[in-house]
Amino acid sequence: MRFLRRSLTVAAKDLRSELRSKEALNASLAFALVILLLFSFAFDPTAETTREISGGLLWLVFAFAGTLILNRSFARELANDCLDALIASPVPPSALFLGKALANLVLLLAVELVSLPVFGVFYNVRWTPYFGPLLGVLVLATWGLAVIGTMFSALTVNLRLRELMLPVLVYPMIIPALMAAMQLTTVLLAGEPVSGDNWLWVRLLVAFDVVFTALALALVETVLLG
Amino acid sequence: MDERNFLFLFYGLAAAWILLAGYVLTLAAREKRLERQLDTLKRMLEQREKDG
Amino acid sequence: MGDAMRRTILYAMTALGALWLARNLYVILLALPDEVAQGAIYRIFFFHLPAWFTCFAAFFAAGLASLLYLIRKSPGYDAFAAAAVEVGVAFTAIGLVTGMVWARIIWGIWWTWDPRLTWAFITLLVYVGYLMLRRAIDEAAERAKNSAVLCIFAFTSVVITYKAIDWWRTQHPGAVLSFRTGGGTIDPAMESMLFQNWFALLLMAAALVLIRMRQERMAREIDGLRRRAHAL
Repeated sequence: MRFLRRSLTVAAKDLRSELRSKEALNASLAFALVILLLFSFAFDPTAETTREISGGLLWLVFAFAGTLILNRSFARELANDCLDALIASPVPPSALFLGKALANLVLLLAVELVSLPVFGVFYNVRWTPYFGPLLGVLVLATWGLAVIGTMFSALTVNLRLRELMLPVLVYPMIIPALMAAMQLTTVLLAGEPVSGDNWLWVRLLVAFDVVFTALALALVETVLLG
Repeated sequence: MDERNFLFLFYGLAAAWILLAGYVLTLAAREKRLERQLDTLKRMLEQREKDG
Repeated sequence: MGDAMRRTILYAMTALGALWLARNLYVILLALPDEVAQGAIYRIFFFHLPAWFTCFAAFFAAGLASLLYLIRKSPGYDAFAAAAVEVGVAFTAIGLVTGMVWARIIWGIWWTWDPRLTWAFITLLVYVGYLMLRRAIDEAAERAKNSAVLCIFAFTSVVITYKAIDWWRTQHPGAVLSFRTGGGTIDPAMESMLFQNWFALLLMAAALVLIRMRQERMAREIDGLRRRAHAL
């Protein structure tokens, strides 16, 4: 119970810190909108093609824009030795990790929920039917992204080339979650419920989240403490 | 042996061996470089300790 | 172990592996029966599969060594992991190339995004990422620790690549080896040759790993000497 409370304290701290400056949030959002714009030039989205690529397109946008937020996760603690202070505090490293991952989840979801209506307008896609299941997919997949992203943010925090290494390491690792999310999102945006074969993708998402959350919680202490 | 597509078999196997050989060569190059660095450093340290 | 003896053992391993492979090549080209539809190109399978199995074995060993490093903190495990991943990546490239050449003939295309191939490529990317991470960290202990954690994460992609032909309906051919199918899907002479080639490749891979490990140790010695040189 105390573990959870500590995680939530860390999460609240990160969110408060980010909401004061909104640096990463604004950059991420701007990036997402720019990519949505660029993709509209890359293919001429008639109704047919949009339906087929909607999931893929959306999650590419989320993955790219998300790295901006994920990068900041541990990087923001470098100034003034905050990271050392956090590690020296009574908060166990796994609680620190969980808190940061939760904060990242909230921030990523915020970007996604703003991008969704914009996407709907630009590409003439109706996203409101089946919004409940869509939200479920968003949460599940974004949690996977947050866990891997926060973990690798910790791994790369001390590197000069941090901004370059994080995407290189994160993207291959989250492909199962991205694949599942893209597939499910395409189905839901096309106005159909999740059924039959598609439940496989939901199971994949859940398995991905469970496995990598456990792995991250087990290993983050080694990364931070050494 | 059925000879159809033999040329591509040859290309495929050649590519595999070239990759392996390439890796072995980079290993050998690195070995030489490391040994040279090690020698230079050891000699330099001996020199410095002699000068004291 | 003296340097000279070590060198002899390594040369012996490599020579043995090479001879075995040469003998296998003779058998593969001349003694094994033909496959009905494919012509000669099917024989690349006898290098394609062993290359991938060697790669998987290397990545598995690296993952194990990484775990042991995190538990024991002995630098030997880190050196082994780094060496095994590098050799594994080399064999991944070989596996991909041999597969692509086969695909060009049989499917008419060099590549397709079916699950098996996609995951094989992801595996390559993930472990190249590992090598990049090692390059990016200068301090030895931090490099060892962080790359060990990454190595453990990375191994999940190997598992998925291996199981891909079971979990998805793939364009890539399905399992043929007896231990996966229960038997009856492949000529026993061919199956025996597959394993023989695999062991021969493993022998060479082991020699390469040992050479690379020693280079890691040399690099660490150089680091230490450099630090002493600066101190004086």
